[in-house]
Amino acid sequence: MEPLVLFILVVVVALGFDFTNGFHDTANAMATSIATGALKPKVAVTLSAILNLVGAFLSVEVALTVTNAVVKIQDSSGAPDPALLTDGGSGLLLIVLAGLAGGIVWNLLTWLLGLPSSSSHALFGGLIGATIAGLGFAGVNWAGDGSKLDGVLGKVILPGLMSPVVAGVVAAIGTWLVFRIIGRLLGPATERGFRIGQIGSASLVSLAHGTNDAQKTMGVITLALIAAGFWNDTESVPLWVKLACALAISLGTYLGGWRIIRTVGKGLVEISTPQGMAAEASSAAVILASSHLGFALSTTHVATGSILGSGVGRPGATVRWRVAARMLIAWCITLPAAALVGALMWGIGHLIGGMAGGIAVVLVLLAFAVFMFWRSRRSAVGAHNVNDKWDDTPARPQPANV
Amino acid sequence: MFPLFLDAAWKVLLAAVVLGAGLPALFAVGVRSFALAGAGSGPLTDDDGRAIAVSAPTSGGSTGLRILGVVCVVLVLAAVAVGLTVIIAGGFGKAVSFENVFPMIVDK
Repeated sequence: MEPLVLFILVVVVALGFDFTNGFHDTANAMATSIATGALKPKVAVTLSAILNLVGAFLSVEVALTVTNAVVKIQDSSGAPDPALLTDGGSGLLLIVLAGLAGGIVWNLLTWLLGLPSSSSHALFGGLIGATIAGLGFAGVNWAGDGSKLDGVLGKVILPGLMSPVVAGVVAAIGTWLVFRIIGRLLGPATERGFRIGQIGSASLVSLAHGTNDAQKTMGVITLALIAAGFWNDTESVPLWVKLACALAISLGTYLGGWRIIRTVGKGLVEISTPQGMAAEASSAAVILASSHLGFALSTTHVATGSILGSGVGRPGATVRWRVAARMLIAWCITLPAAALVGALMWGIGHLIGGMAGGIAVVLVLLAFAVFMFWRSRRSAVGAHNVNDKWDDTPARPQPANV
Repeated sequence: MFPLFLDAAWKVLLAAVVLGAGLPALFAVGVRSFALAGAGSGPLTDDDGRAIAVSAPTSGGSTGLRILGVVCVVLVLAAVAVGLTVIIAGGFGKAVSFENVFPMIVDK
């Protein structure tokens, strides 16, 4: 009974995380197209949602070993660590549940502040915290065995430092070249062409996002299935898991994280269509090149780095470095903050114990979520005001002028 | 760890500069060609609506510009097709190999 209830809670919370992952990352692909008016806000999020859905189904490869990047609760085939299954899987399920809850809390808080932080860092952070609390520091895969890029250092921290810089450099070069080539022709005669280019490149980013991010949740749910004894195949993911994850991320994307879209599209750089195209092309190229070369990185870091780069590359463009600095701080603390919440959640669950512990974790999570949603209503950002003029004085989204 | 990291990082940077900056530039050449080729049919204006003094191309020049534009756009589309193949192949446990210059789908 206990593992079954915990398992159900893990599935629900995992899908909840996938949903926040969706709306948190809509901005990565679509913020520039919305800001330049290449796409109407609702059209942009719909397009992105469809491409995320398609992307999630395109990834048939098993992402079962997703947690192996940062923690040691599975072996290399994806099977759960037998030492954690002695109590019918409850020990492992509680770690995963607390980790997911930590990721969600951080995703919601950064959404409330309109900050584009990495959903993968939030998930990994939550799992790391819950694992440290449950198994101690030795349970964390800090740097792998050194033979390849692995562990918290190789798969999270180093790529996190490098990817926004690379994306920014590429976007700056691209933007500079585009403006050099177009010269004084910038304007009505070239606008339509760049709009098409911008929409095309943004669509590629959405598709790549769906293939990468939905897989992570599929892996986590399948791990929980195996731990609870409902599944024993480490080579495939059950169809219902794939379906549920694809729908969750796509629904989240459709909802649109308007607060974050606003920051990314309007807050960082006053962006024009050619800049938007250069930024999205840079994001798509960096994401595809690194996944091709087996290099893990966060779509969010790449996308925001690209947009900053497109501001640097256009002579005379304004980059709001204050907004960028806030964002940078959020990136640096995402992992430890989500870890702290994950550890606290594990503590709550462990203290109360068993089934009631798992339920308590979910109730605390729900309370947080409801509070943050209620708080967000005070200064609602939606499709109607996402493109309003950015006011620099208070560095957060402005109340709706309705 | 760090040598491995630097090795991966510069490869990503190189590939991303070629594709992520090169393709938008190529696309811009295409857009520029079409805009100039169209200059014969009406005056070009800049962002502020001021007329840009561009001499209208001769009909031969106009055709040349259009061909250049088409070539640029086709090259960009071909690169996007390769990009899509990389995404889709990755999802099916395959990889796209560029060993023979021409992209080929191989097992991962």
